[in-house]
This record gives sequence, C-alpha cells and structure tokens, in this order.
Amino acid sequence: MKFLMIDIMQWFLFVCALFCIIRLITGRTAADKLTGLNVLSGVVLAFLVLRGVRHGTALFLDVALVYDILGFLGFLAIAHFLKDNISGEVENEETEE
Amino acid sequence: MIIIIRNVIALIAFSSALIFGTAGIIGLFRFPDPYSKLQAGSLCGTTAVFSIFMGSLALAPNWAIAGRIIIICFFFLLSSPTGAHIVARFAWQSNIVPWKPAARNRRRGKNKNNGNKQEPLQ
Repeated sequence: MKFLMIDIMQWFLFVCALFCIIRLITGRTAADKLTGLNVLSGVVLAFLVLRGVRHGTALFLDVALVYDILGFLGFLAIAHFLKDNISGEVENEETEE
Repeated sequence: MIIIIRNVIALIAFSSALIFGTAGIIGLFRFPDPYSKLQAGSLCGTTAVFSIFMGSLALAPNWAIAGRIIIICFFFLLSSPTGAHIVARFAWQSNIVPWKPAARNRRRGKNKNNGNKQEPLQ
C-alpha cells in the first residue's frame, strides 16, 4: 500500500516534470519559460523527497535541501540577468527611434 | 492501527496532490497570459508539492527523515512563493499587458479613458 502510493506519485511527478520541460522549451516569452522553471524546481524537489522516503535513506533528503537552496539562488540570478538584458534592449530601441 | 491511520493521511494528501498537480499542469498550458499561467503554476508548484511533503511526512520511516522533511518544508515555503513573486515582477517590468476578454475590453474603452492601460512599476 505504502510503496504503491509512493510509486504512483513518483510516476505522476515524472510526467509533470516532462510537461514542465516541454513548457520550458516551447514557451514564447521569457516569463512563460521562467514559470515553467519555477514549477520544475518544485516538482524535482518533491521527487527527491519521495525517493528518500521510498528507500529509507536520508541522503536523498540532504540533496533535496541543498537543491532547494541552490535552485532558488540560481533562479534569482537568471531572473536578474534577464531583467538587465530586457531593460538594455528597451533603452537601445528608444535611442534608435 | 497507527500504520492504517498514517496510510489514510498519506492517501488523502497524495490524492489532493494529484488533483492540484493535474489542474496546475493543464492551466500552465491553456491560460492566455503569463500572470494567469503563473497562478496555475503556483498551484502545481506550491500546493501539490506541499501536499506531497505532508504525505511523505506521514509515511516517514524514522525521525531522521521526518525532521529533514520538516526543514525542507520551511525552506520550500520561503523560496517557492518568492520565486513566483520574482517571475510576476519580471513580467510586469517587461511591459506584458494582462489579458482581458475582448468584449469587456471594448466596453471599458468607451466608459473609461484608457482603462486597461497600466503603467509599469518603477
């Protein structure tokens, strides 16, 4: 019962992650892609936690904690970089006009 | 007895995670503009994942794993809504206009002058 539930949820999260990656690749604007990335990080985190509980090893949970912190920092860096990029493009367009 | 109670709690949490996750993924693909997509994405990315944490907390085999799951819950509740906020602010600052239905848009344009034009935050 317990392992069956955890396995079903693992497959569900795997499908969710696949859809998020599709969204990440085919998104039209940068905000769409960032939304997909945000969801993807949470889904992978839940997958790691489920795998740790399934096998009874705390190692997966340590990896999940570090992944959460570093993933959030990386996400912040990507958003900051894209914001700088877009404001630079807008300034260039205004000067061209 | 305790095992049955833990299994039932985990079953409820995992069922809600299935519902919220499916709704979030559908909304991520079907909604028209980045703001509503972000709402659906937060539904999938925060509520479903938190339900999974609760379910795995009920199924945790020992206290070492349960304590780590609680710490991950705290970090996740800090980081995930902040990430959604950063995306929304990024979309707002890159001048993406929120989606509105066409008929309502026309009516508002007659009543109010430029009712749907919004200045981006500084």
